[in-house]
Amino acid sequence: MRTRLWLVVFLLLLLPGAMAQQLREQIRKYTLDNGLRVLMVPDKTAPVIHFNLMFDVGGVDEAPGLGGIAHMVEHMAFKGTPTIGSLDWPKEKAALEAIDKARADLDRAIASRASQEEIQRLTVAFNQAREEAKKLALPNAIDQLFTNNGEQGLNASTGYDRTDYRVSLPSNRLELYLRVYADVMLNAVFRSFYEEADVVLEERRQRNENDPNGALSEAFLRAAFQVHPYGRPLIGSREEIQGYRVDKAMEFWKTHYHPNRAVLVMVGDVEPERDIQMVRKYMGAIPRGPSRPADTIPAEPPQTAERRVSIEYNAQPSVLIGFRKPTYPNREAYVMDMIDSILTEGRTSRLFRRLVIQEQAALSVSASSASPGFRYANMFTISAQPRAPRTTQDLERIIYEELERLKNEPVMAQELQRVRNQTRAAYLRVLQGGPGLAQTLAFYELFFGGYQRIFEEEAIYNAITAEEIQQAARKYFTPQNRTVATLVTRGGSR
Amino acid sequence: MRAFWTLFVSLLASLTLAQGGVPADWPDPFKLQFQRLQPTVIQPARVQLSNGVTVLLIEDRSLPFVTGRIYLRAGSIYEPADKVGMSGIFSSVMRTGGAGSRSADQVDETLETLAATVSVSTDNLFTSVAFNTLTENLDQVLEIWADVLIRPRFAQDRLELEKGRALEAIRRRNDQPTQVAVREFLRRMNEGHPAGLVSSAASIQSITRDDLLAFHGRFFKPNVAVMAITGDFNTQEMVAKLERALQGWQRGEVTLPTFPPPNPKPSIYFVQKETNQSVIYMGNPTVTAFAPGYSELDLASRVLGDGFNSRLFVEVRTKRGLAYATGGAQTQGFGWPGFFYGASISRVEKTAEVIELMLAQFRDLRDRPVSQEELELFRNNILNAEVFRFTSKQAVAERIARTQMLGLPADYYEQYIRQIQAATPADLQRVMQQFVSPDRFVIVVVGDQRQFDKPLSTLGNVVNVPLE
Repeated sequence: MRTRLWLVVFLLLLLPGAMAQQLREQIRKYTLDNGLRVLMVPDKTAPVIHFNLMFDVGGVDEAPGLGGIAHMVEHMAFKGTPTIGSLDWPKEKAALEAIDKARADLDRAIASRASQEEIQRLTVAFNQAREEAKKLALPNAIDQLFTNNGEQGLNASTGYDRTDYRVSLPSNRLELYLRVYADVMLNAVFRSFYEEADVVLEERRQRNENDPNGALSEAFLRAAFQVHPYGRPLIGSREEIQGYRVDKAMEFWKTHYHPNRAVLVMVGDVEPERDIQMVRKYMGAIPRGPSRPADTIPAEPPQTAERRVSIEYNAQPSVLIGFRKPTYPNREAYVMDMIDSILTEGRTSRLFRRLVIQEQAALSVSASSASPGFRYANMFTISAQPRAPRTTQDLERIIYEELERLKNEPVMAQELQRVRNQTRAAYLRVLQGGPGLAQTLAFYELFFGGYQRIFEEEAIYNAITAEEIQQAARKYFTPQNRTVATLVTRGGSR
Repeated sequence: MRAFWTLFVSLLASLTLAQGGVPADWPDPFKLQFQRLQPTVIQPARVQLSNGVTVLLIEDRSLPFVTGRIYLRAGSIYEPADKVGMSGIFSSVMRTGGAGSRSADQVDETLETLAATVSVSTDNLFTSVAFNTLTENLDQVLEIWADVLIRPRFAQDRLELEKGRALEAIRRRNDQPTQVAVREFLRRMNEGHPAGLVSSAASIQSITRDDLLAFHGRFFKPNVAVMAITGDFNTQEMVAKLERALQGWQRGEVTLPTFPPPNPKPSIYFVQKETNQSVIYMGNPTVTAFAPGYSELDLASRVLGDGFNSRLFVEVRTKRGLAYATGGAQTQGFGWPGFFYGASISRVEKTAEVIELMLAQFRDLRDRPVSQEELELFRNNILNAEVFRFTSKQAVAERIARTQMLGLPADYYEQYIRQIQAATPADLQRVMQQFVSPDRFVIVVVGDQRQFDKPLSTLGNVVNVPLE
């Protein structure tokens, strides 16, 4: 049995190399004069193109007090331009300026503690100005264009480190895509701004306040990062969201969202030499912007003692444990990825087997080796939910025992091989194409010194030894390097 | 000709920015015209194995993977009425309780070392058993997959484990307001039908290994199974491999019980929970999928709640900022009617306002024809997105497998497309009036009534549902 498995394992490592090689040869990369990098991956399965436009800007780039503005700006980039969404641009422009003025008047009155009547009067004026502007705009015009043309998966997401815009379209809509996004990058109009701020407040309630996992995660990050922006909620605090103003948001947009800070990936029915002409026509019209500002983001000081935080919540208990660690391209970051798989990937992983199957102490357990971002030193996190009557303390004890085992005993060769196989299979599945491939390539191109890096990582993982795993475990899985957040039940699930 | 024109204009473009800040040669995006692309239809090979399994195969040599899934009519509606939740336990333990000559741990160990997957999943109607593997390990993975399918061991200790986890999941199922609302809405919309039953600690505790064996013995017969398989293989060789892997699987007769359709009782079902947002669901049952009226209801539901340009989104979110999540749809009901519904997650002090705003959107679709522009928008979306139905060969094969299991005509989608093409605003209004009655909706609200803007009783009859 053993021998047979080993033979198969050996074949697994050699065989799909051809596939990665083939993909590597197919990828075309272009850099426009304005610095925009364009990657194209031909895949003729169906006449569609999956687009991913990714910027190297996210939550870490926000000034204090403007938490969540990157996410707000991500929403605003769907609001259109003068030629997309306006019924009469000169009039609408004036109406939008009137909103800004009404908002400023109201803010001044509040700041100078004006009378309730005065504030009331200015609030009415502000709301009236918003209504006037709405009459001059077509709501959600970008979505309308794409919906009409059969879009799938129109969406965007903001992380601590990056922001991406995604959509898939029938392949003959390339020009539409470029016309829209080049215009957005040139001329975004932040219409319906204050309505959208209310939407974001609802999003915050939904994700961070009424979801026990969101609430726990927010408390956890705040404890773990006391200086670095990874400690701030990505969506912003309630007060910050209520304080968003158009000028500040626009300033953030104009500082960061430029072609020289972005990658556009197109996966699907593309003909690179033909299609790049059209990409140049539209995306090439956007001027290069300033480079990424010099990194002024403060480093998190070294941690010297365990940090513990708990929140009371009307939900069943759970625990979130984090250990500070370096990020890529530091080799130890790759070692921690391997440890993640050893601990929680699949039913045979150490923590799943021990906590869920053997001791029946947890409903589930999961880990992440690069949380909450990857551009700066981050955390290895483990999350688990106890099965009553077992408690989060029980889970902590067992998890620490398993981490001690990693420190004290070298990982067996076969276990290491299993993890390598899983890593490789996951990697090959990403390479299969679709929106996932577009996003992964954008990510590597933007942050890992070029998309080619994706083809080099396998060698790194394969070279990681049991000894390195043991060393990293000893170095990072220590009590003083640990943050623990616990959700304590208050009043059942009421 | 066009190329010449483009070149000429682009020389000027860099100098002239037209009003609106774009080069003069950029077209108005709303006037860009594109041909509707026709999907390249993929037809699987269809083979019947000697024991009666229907197999749909599509070769795809571009990647060194093989993926397969076999469907059986062993959905949750067929579990015993006093053992609600059994099908979920069944599918977990079928996969994790050992199979053939392998113990539970041996199955896991072998699959994970090969970085392959075998999975079992159950929905209302079907249980399916799937695998994914690198081509090189196909034989070994097929063997395990067939063992899981035909010879699951349902080890007692793994049954106890999964029951314990299910009990913990029940303990946690009131933690998230949205989960509470969805469960309550499905329960009320499917009242009187097995799909509306909700598991309890008692129903989970009553499940025995014999129950699982009986469920398996009753529904898992090759002559009623349909399999979809795609990837890196030669069709003839694959058929031979499947014959070998599935030999010894005995034919048998499967009789499926029938159920009367759900009979929901219109009301406002309110669940008190301490939260600063209310989760609101509302709707009523309509027609089964692809029955007369379905295509028009589908279009009407998109006008109501599909995406950024739907009425719920524009009215509740874009114009008023009352929700982040809002939308609606006509669901696909197979065997019993689907339903036409809308939902919002909105701040608690606007609960009644949002309910009324949502109801007004449904009513408007009955009272007035939609505009031609709205209809075209969603019609175009359906027609132009047809190419995405063929981006994955496995998805194509699985869709055809389910189509066959459901007894839909092979050209059901072409018929649907024809109806979508022919629909008029009057047609949408007609089906709305015929099938959607806001006055008789089931409305589920999960929220904190102490903070509501108005008592729910001002909106209709309220049934208080305790959190259990």
